Amino acid sequence: MHISEGVLSPQMLAAGWAIAGAGTVVGLKKLDPDKIVRVAFFSSVFFLASLVNVPVGPSSTHLSLIAPMGLILGWSVFPAVLTALALQAILLRFGGFLALGANTVSIALPGLIVYLLFAAGVRRCAGSAAAVRSFAAGFAGVILSAAGVGVFLWLSNPAFTNAAKFIFVAHLPLALIEGSLTLFMTGFLKKTAPDILSGADRHSGE
Amino acid sequence: MAAGLVLFSAAAAAAHGIGYRHSEKKPVSLEFSYSTGEAMSYLDTRVYSPKDEKFAFQSGRTDEAGRFAFTPDVSGLWRVVVRDEEGHMAEASVNVTEDFLKGDGNFLPEIVHGDHIEGAELALRAVLGVSLLFNLAAGVVLRRNKVKK
Repeated sequence: MHISEGVLSPQMLAAGWAIAGAGTVVGLKKLDPDKIVRVAFFSSVFFLASLVNVPVGPSSTHLSLIAPMGLILGWSVFPAVLTALALQAILLRFGGFLALGANTVSIALPGLIVYLLFAAGVRRCAGSAAAVRSFAAGFAGVILSAAGVGVFLWLSNPAFTNAAKFIFVAHLPLALIEGSLTLFMTGFLKKTAPDILSGADRHSGE
Repeated sequence: MAAGLVLFSAAAAAAHGIGYRHSEKKPVSLEFSYSTGEAMSYLDTRVYSPKDEKFAFQSGRTDEAGRFAFTPDVSGLWRVVVRDEEGHMAEASVNVTEDFLKGDGNFLPEIVHGDHIEGAELALRAVLGVSLLFNLAAGVVLRRNKVKK
């Protein structure tokens, strides 16, 4: 879900960098120093996930892991995503540096929203209640991200309205896939390592 | 009056007559695909001439197999850029020589450089990325421990 270089208006590029910068500063300030390696690990998983193609009908897409990142990292999702996207731009030529701020926002902000809305519920609930919340978190992460990309495009140029709508609809299958993936992931982590679901922020989950 | 209008219409239609013939110019045909081997089908494609780097010489979409063809009119380095809706971009630079333009079949345009990373190089870059992320984290942890002492 990377926005290409040369697509967004200078105002939207600046807005993207401003929000991404603010989120990254807050994320770094809140980051529990003992969980830096965990952030690096999930940043690496996100970096590699873009290489895993998932067939959707006649086409394919790649995993974004927005909800798992948000639920596990909390506010630290901003620095984790910014670093991974920068490396993707340098090493894999995905996206680019001017659009890095907007791309960070369109992935990290939904991750943070998912964390704020669902993390406590997923941790505290059990059984089907936790499963429903986990699926909703995964689904919402992708939908919010697609909506974010659409807003950036639409505010840059109203001529992109149709492209924004297409991106939103095209990501519905991925939202279902990531909802299911988040459901299985949280189910597994709740049994094996529930501490991981408490976020990487200082005092989070306590 | 009516007869005059009919005559005028016929003349106008004749003035906009259309036709076609085989072009003697040789096209350059490229095939674009993802690192997974999947064709980059029906994607926005722009061709930039060496004469004008800013405005596209030609634009359109790749076909189902990810192919796109254009007919260069000058020699030099031509750029072909293909983008999908998710931000992936493939860029090929094609060196079109005078010999190719003259139609000598022995001279094929050379793809000087393509932004398509795949196979071992892709794996190497992925490993390098993961390694950089962990080195960055290790650096921060080491620095933090030093400051603590």
